[in-house]
Amino acid sequence: MVASFDTHLFWEALSSRPYWHGALLAFELTCATLGAASVLAFFLALGALSKSRPLRGAVLVYNWLFRAIPTLLLLLFVWNGLPQLWGVFTGNWYTAFLAAFIALSLNEAAYMSEIIRAGLMSVDPGQELAGRALGMTRARILRRVVVPQAIRIIIPPTANEFITLLKLTSLASVISLYELLGAATVRANQNFAFLEAYSAAAVYYLGIVSVLMLLQAQLERRFTWRSGARRRRLAPAPAMSSHEAR
Amino acid sequence: MNEALLRADGVSKSYDGLDVLHGVTFEVGRGEVKVVIGPSGSGKSTLLRCLALLEPVDAGEVWLDGVRLSGVREKELAQHRSEVGMVFQRFNLFQNMTALANVMCGLVEVRRLKKAEARERALEFLARVGLRDKANSYPDELSGGQQQRVAIARALVMRPKAMLFDEPTSALDVELVREVLDVMENLARDGMTMVVVSHELRFAHHVASSILMMDEGRIIEEAPPEQFFSSPSHERTKRFLALVE
Repeated sequence: MVASFDTHLFWEALSSRPYWHGALLAFELTCATLGAASVLAFFLALGALSKSRPLRGAVLVYNWLFRAIPTLLLLLFVWNGLPQLWGVFTGNWYTAFLAAFIALSLNEAAYMSEIIRAGLMSVDPGQELAGRALGMTRARILRRVVVPQAIRIIIPPTANEFITLLKLTSLASVISLYELLGAATVRANQNFAFLEAYSAAAVYYLGIVSVLMLLQAQLERRFTWRSGARRRRLAPAPAMSSHEAR
Repeated sequence: MNEALLRADGVSKSYDGLDVLHGVTFEVGRGEVKVVIGPSGSGKSTLLRCLALLEPVDAGEVWLDGVRLSGVREKELAQHRSEVGMVFQRFNLFQNMTALANVMCGLVEVRRLKKAEARERALEFLARVGLRDKANSYPDELSGGQQQRVAIARALVMRPKAMLFDEPTSALDVELVREVLDVMENLARDGMTMVVVSHELRFAHHVASSILMMDEGRIIEEAPPEQFFSSPSHERTKRFLALVE
């Protein structure tokens, strides 16, 4: 048989509205999820590192629960189960996007909390000690000293999580959210041009991940503390005079 | 005699059932320099951390400038900590900040100074330790001696009532020790109240008002340098001095 890749069908798929929409949806869902999950995970990580036993226990239970439950099951539970549990979730406002966002965020927060915890623990305890000796409060030390240094450690695994999440969003097609892979499947089933339909989808995934990797490199540079490696956030001190407007 | 500026009164401290300090009583008067020596594990660093209000004491009291600070709650303690400067063996400069930002940090975050004013003062103190031209370098780009001088500037800029040094030169290469000791000697000459844990005996000889020997969580001897070195009264001190020299 002759190779039968039809470039015309490929371009058609690539430039079609459902693809563009699907990709945008997948990207938005990934960003929203990772954002919400990171915030939740930050507090989970603080809980895991706190002196309070009950708090540590609560975080342990959360992480155990949401790492054990398969993402797909959680997705179906949140979409189909929650409305049966609480009437409020039967309203029109409860969209598939929202359900996917909730399910993926709950799931992702458990993973991110471990990443953030590892990041916070990687910061030399001497940094906090020095902050305390200066008279800084714990919250300020966390914000000005510990978190910025932890971020450097957290960036690479978080980029991994972003990519994993991007792919996980395709699960949302089971709750009728037509993201990228959903759009590709629909198209392939219409004209049986599987090769072209899936290749076009792959191009979008490649595109999104490329952008992410550029962003990652940029962020990593920003969180490296050598004067040559990054743009300074503080304006450089004047060579001799001590006048400074800022 | 005037009242002690910084005083530990019968301070005991243990970690996980291990007694590190046994009812240590110690004081340093305004403008005095006390050098603490002793074998590792004798409680020198712990004593310093108690004086810096970084560790709650199990028993006894810590007084700063006539105010009793042991038992004060964490929130208020933070403010008092800024009245005592602390310099660590491993410098502990904030890795994510330039030398200038390190020195500014306490002024901005604790003293709530405006950035411009903090910056001016920070530059002034960097100049005092001879590092005005390194203001924009990150700790990673500085030598150990330079880092320690920045750390001293970071503590000094808060205008502390006393400065505590925890083995400030023992993490340094030999040729970098001098520059740090010079800064400390200048400080002492300017009348700063200092407690220094260090085995730099020459420094102790030159600068100290008195030298203390610690062993097994107790201060076993205190004397002015001349007397301390020429005729130590304690057998343990003699053996230790023989080892250090």
